[in-house]
Amino acid sequence: MAEQTQTANSTIGAAPAAGSHRFSAQAEAELAEIVSHYPEKKAAILPGLWIAQREYGGSLSAAAIQEVADRLERPFVEVEGVATFYTMYNLRPRGKHHLEVCTCLTCACVGAYDVVHKIEHKLGIKPGETTKDGAFTLSEAECLNFCGAGTVMQVGDKYFGNLTAENIEAVVDQLRASEEHTPMKLADAIVKLHLSAGG
Amino acid sequence: MGELKLLLKHVDEPGIENLDTYEKLGGYAGLKKAVGMERQAIIDEVKASGLRGRGGAGFPTWIKWNGIPKDTSKPHYIINNADEGEPGTFKDRELLLKLPHMVIEGMIIAGVALQAEVGYVYIRGEFVESAQATRKAIDQAYKKGYLGKNICGKQGLNFELYIHMGAGSYECGEESALMSSLMGERGQPRLKFPHAPLPVIEGVWKCPTLINNTETYAAVPHILANGGAWYGAMGTERSKGTKLFSVSGHVARPANYEVEMGTPLLQLVELAGGVTGGALKAIIPGGSSVQIVPADQVAGVNLDYESCSAAGTLLGSGGCMVFNENTDIVILMKRTAEFYAHESCGKCTPCREGTRWIYKIMERIVSGGGQKGDVELLLNICANIDGRSYCALGDAAAWPIVASIKHYRHEYDYWIEHKKSPVGPNCIPPVPEVMNPLLTLTPV
Repeated sequence: MAEQTQTANSTIGAAPAAGSHRFSAQAEAELAEIVSHYPEKKAAILPGLWIAQREYGGSLSAAAIQEVADRLERPFVEVEGVATFYTMYNLRPRGKHHLEVCTCLTCACVGAYDVVHKIEHKLGIKPGETTKDGAFTLSEAECLNFCGAGTVMQVGDKYFGNLTAENIEAVVDQLRASEEHTPMKLADAIVKLHLSAGG
Repeated sequence: MGELKLLLKHVDEPGIENLDTYEKLGGYAGLKKAVGMERQAIIDEVKASGLRGRGGAGFPTWIKWNGIPKDTSKPHYIINNADEGEPGTFKDRELLLKLPHMVIEGMIIAGVALQAEVGYVYIRGEFVESAQATRKAIDQAYKKGYLGKNICGKQGLNFELYIHMGAGSYECGEESALMSSLMGERGQPRLKFPHAPLPVIEGVWKCPTLINNTETYAAVPHILANGGAWYGAMGTERSKGTKLFSVSGHVARPANYEVEMGTPLLQLVELAGGVTGGALKAIIPGGSSVQIVPADQVAGVNLDYESCSAAGTLLGSGGCMVFNENTDIVILMKRTAEFYAHESCGKCTPCREGTRWIYKIMERIVSGGGQKGDVELLLNICANIDGRSYCALGDAAAWPIVASIKHYRHEYDYWIEHKKSPVGPNCIPPVPEVMNPLLTLTPV
């Protein structure tokens, strides 16, 4: 939903010159292991973008996409096409905590809009916006598939369930003080899911 | 008929997500049996069980298994579709979180039966917690020798299992789109049979590929351990075994419930504690893609593929959403239309354009701008989407709208004539403000 405002042209810009790579040695090793899981390097584009999202501070710049393209020996436009298709790749920076409130069918019927309105009022932002201090971005989300605990909100690598207009403020306050569940922590968690315990 | 816990029997057992506890409670017995069997005998057990795909389509599982070529001139692949995205459904999330070994065991058995040495669990990117439990279980299974080289001590029997995370796309739950995504592409569907080979002949990397839903794999260990005939004795004539239903919405105890196939829909609602906040208005029994059933018609509906079809709806993925009398069907359908407009992958023109037009008209109606003829326009657009796209997302966008008009035409007419909800000012969901300007048709 909020991600719909992202378009390739408005945020990514033209392909940068190759050569200014930023992946750490650990990231290089992770990518190498992941590439070994598939018969083709191309299949590592999605996990490669997750690595890049972590290495580049939580969002994908043109340089980040170029680095994935270079390392997997694919054209920039192909990797850019993938990066722009999926909603979880951030094409511009998010706040330290990205509040994604599900407003899909069940949640909409058990008070999700009250939760969204409470957050709007508390933080002074609308869905799709980030607070001036960069602490929070607010989005409406499509079904997060935890409908038994509606209203549900995803924040980075964590789901919060059974949210109401009454308890949401305490959750937001807790997050403000927390270093967990940030966009970079989410990207890191997803990268690690691809790797075996030994690797 | 009624609640019957097979997959969920030990779901509340502390530590069931770990290999030791799972094995102590009978886990991996199915795999141990399978490694000593002829390959065709494993497929025959699945055939005898009558198991049908639990992702939504209900296709007989054994036909897919039997369709994988017996020769191994090309590698074979096993894929678990854990891209659970159907609104109202949350069963695969719980299976992966609490019973990951059951799912993994089912995949390994498929690998043994179909001579596949590599499998992928494709998990939606949002399900980090479930994927972490699955990761841990895979690592435990490697350590125990159930994954890797020479599994269960059998020389030459190998199976590697990898996790591949999605990145936010409902469309990737469609099997050909999921395969595109696994191969590093945008999650868009491919041409289908008979215009292209089936995935069991040419799936990922043009190799034979088995792709089943998470819940389908979770049923397999039980079938192998106890026999296909034992599983097939449960359920109805054509819908065998048990099925997980995710009950949500206006019920007292929303959760996953496992019932024998053929259980009355209303009995499921009672299991979930009954309707809250007023009398029952309607039920969507199988996820947002299926047709809504009004309260006065739910009495005859049983939870099997045939009964749901006969009632003009579908069993789908088992995402059962219950709505009380305060629900405004038009606003509910406007939100549904928004979902499909957002999730259409953009490949096929009727779906890409049509879903946005449906949304635009629905939004116009619930903003008080409905015009005479809008309902006919909606039906016309739906008829021009249905069956005209590569995958079923377009159909799924059209069917709920058509069904809601069939059953609740008077609510549409009321909205268009009176510019307000027929349910009243406190309707559910609330009358939308312009909260989400992102789907309006202005360029961003």
